[in-house]
Amino acid sequence: MEKPRVLVAMSGGVDSSVAAALLVEQGYEVIGCTMQVWDYSKDSSCEIVEGNGTCCSSIDVDDARAVADHLGIPFYVINCEEPFEHFVIKDFINSYLEGRTPIPCVHCNTFLKFDHLLKKMKELRCDYLATGHYAESQEISDSRWGLITSEDSWKDQTYFLFTLQTEILPKLIFPVGKMEKPKVRQLAEEMGLPVAKKRDSTGICFIGNKGYKNFLEENVPKEKFKPGLLKRWDSGETLGEHSGIHNFTYGQRKGLGISSEKPLYVVKVDPMTCEVWLGEEEELYSTELEVDNVNWLDEFNDDEKLRVKVRFAHQGAQANILKTEIEGRYKIVFDEKQRAITPGQAAVVYRDRQLIGGGWIL
Amino acid sequence: MTHQPLTVCGSKNIYLDHNATTPVSKSVIENVPNWLEAWGNPSSIHWNGRQPKAILRESRKKISALLKASSPLELIFTSGGSEANNLALWGSVLKIQSFFPERTELITSVVEHPSVLKTMEAIAKYKNMTLHKISVNQNGEIDLDDYFGKLNEKTALVSIMSANNETGSLFPIKKMVRKAHEVGAIFHTDAVQALGKIAVDVKTWGVDMASFSAHKFYALKGCGVLYVKQGTALESQIFGGGQERGRRAGTENILAIAAFAKMSDCQEDIANYTMQMAELRDFMETQILNVIPDIEVVGGQGKRLPNTSSLIIKNVNGESLLINLDMQGVSVSTGAACSAGNPEPSPVLIAMGYSRQQAQSSLRLSIGWTTTKEEILKFVNILKEVVIHLRNLEAEEKSWKNQES
Repeated sequence: MEKPRVLVAMSGGVDSSVAAALLVEQGYEVIGCTMQVWDYSKDSSCEIVEGNGTCCSSIDVDDARAVADHLGIPFYVINCEEPFEHFVIKDFINSYLEGRTPIPCVHCNTFLKFDHLLKKMKELRCDYLATGHYAESQEISDSRWGLITSEDSWKDQTYFLFTLQTEILPKLIFPVGKMEKPKVRQLAEEMGLPVAKKRDSTGICFIGNKGYKNFLEENVPKEKFKPGLLKRWDSGETLGEHSGIHNFTYGQRKGLGISSEKPLYVVKVDPMTCEVWLGEEEELYSTELEVDNVNWLDEFNDDEKLRVKVRFAHQGAQANILKTEIEGRYKIVFDEKQRAITPGQAAVVYRDRQLIGGGWIL
Repeated sequence: MTHQPLTVCGSKNIYLDHNATTPVSKSVIENVPNWLEAWGNPSSIHWNGRQPKAILRESRKKISALLKASSPLELIFTSGGSEANNLALWGSVLKIQSFFPERTELITSVVEHPSVLKTMEAIAKYKNMTLHKISVNQNGEIDLDDYFGKLNEKTALVSIMSANNETGSLFPIKKMVRKAHEVGAIFHTDAVQALGKIAVDVKTWGVDMASFSAHKFYALKGCGVLYVKQGTALESQIFGGGQERGRRAGTENILAIAAFAKMSDCQEDIANYTMQMAELRDFMETQILNVIPDIEVVGGQGKRLPNTSSLIIKNVNGESLLINLDMQGVSVSTGAACSAGNPEPSPVLIAMGYSRQQAQSSLRLSIGWTTTKEEILKFVNILKEVVIHLRNLEAEEKSWKNQES
């Protein structure tokens, strides 16, 4: 019998490199690929830093290729610039312009890795698609598949995978999903992978070290920014002016451009009036939120207590998930107040370690 | 066939990408050790310099005869075709500007290789000149009326390729040169794709400058030639020692130059190869069109290189096609092989008026002197099977999307 063939998405980082190596070890026929998502030659401020990923991604492509050569597997660059710009960059920019704080990685997973690459997987006659995500795809009960959080709760990436459709889960392999990061790095060293000592990439791949504001300023025409007033919650007192609502995110304390006795935080960004409201810390707390464009990977009841994360770094808190009258929109009610529930982020729901799904915070 | 068939280095894949590079001739490889023995610097006066100097002189003579130059002194050895193009364009513009500052216009075509197009754009930008890009029609033919209209007393330099690397389209160089000379403009042609495929004769063409590359001619990478007609003024772009009569400094790449010259021995065979490749290419296209529906041959109605076939395969993604063919042992390309394995849709096809989607469904096949009919038949079978597979998936996807909406 022929070996099952796997297309593995390689970013040039340690996790996906080890993922590819493990698949080779497990006897799959492995084909490596990297998504070319952004033309980095356009970025003026892009500096090449040795051993540092994310910026100047052609270096990451070279690293991925070096790993593929080391493993003796074929490697191809898949051009994804068009869908990436359309599904990821545009939404990223528009979110900030509309006063939301986006998570581009979810869109990249939804539309690029687990749609565009899934299509490539079929086109290249592969049986499976593998990535270096920290998550597990499991058959939960007779032919019902689900996603389970990684053993490494610090690295777990299921938060970014809540939009996945259950039908595709049997086609996915996450070779490092069961491991903890130190183990992955150790394996990389033991297997002599050329990226074993490469630093973890943090943050957003097309932003790098320069910060999202610089990215927006380079890629958005000036007239699209929305300047307005800084106002005190809830007295309505005008505290000053700002150069655009894209500079603010909920819970932000630094860089507000004003001084006050008590520390002030962004508690509301209003894209209609372009007002940014500042208030004291307790204003950041609330017990409920609404999400739309939900995706559920499993069923649940109104009265079931589930764990909900409102941002990637959030521990998660007990809540009930309630259907609203609007199709695709749900209300999430927490047992206890949560800090800085931010529009544009995702609320992602778990039953123990099983990913139930989630939606976008309004 | 009367000529001695060429033997080249082996390849695991069926190689149908000769416009990217050609396999190295065995006759070159056999002689590499001898040329390496001549390791001295050809500029040295002592004994060690003599043999490399002799190789350089003999090579220049042979290549000069191959290109039908009037004198070996009309050849400048460079690192390759891209450097030859850069030297030709920058080097001549600098001279023209100093003699004729009123000549401020440049002419090129929209389908040039980037080493011409980007260089012309850079010259226009940094020298404050006006660049005219002549368009082509959907058959790949250059718009001669547009060209004649743009030529005038202010034209400094024209650079139009002899043959296009992606579609194989041939341009009427002789006619274009005559018109350029009538207004006193200098004419350069990028002839990198012409050598080894059609008759090359720089004297009859009448061009002032022409670029060539050794690695598209079964020799080695790292060697190009710029032909500069006697009397054409050219400023050096690499200053240093006085090599190449002060027009291109740097110790000569004797190994690659000797290899290029070695391939000149095949000069008499080229006409045969031209016929042989044309027959095989036409056979391949007929076979493909017979067994696979919805395929368009790009530029098929115009004059083309004998070895090149550019296809648009409806409802097939070129990137997936290329990878599938590679996995099944066939090397092809979707466009020029320049951009670090990053398959952007071909700007040449876009310039010819094809849509982005059509350009993303393109396939470039370029056969060589050693391509066999057996290879073609095998390739056509593989292609057919891959195209069916990809079109089935495309149809599935479409019907699935229709059901959803």
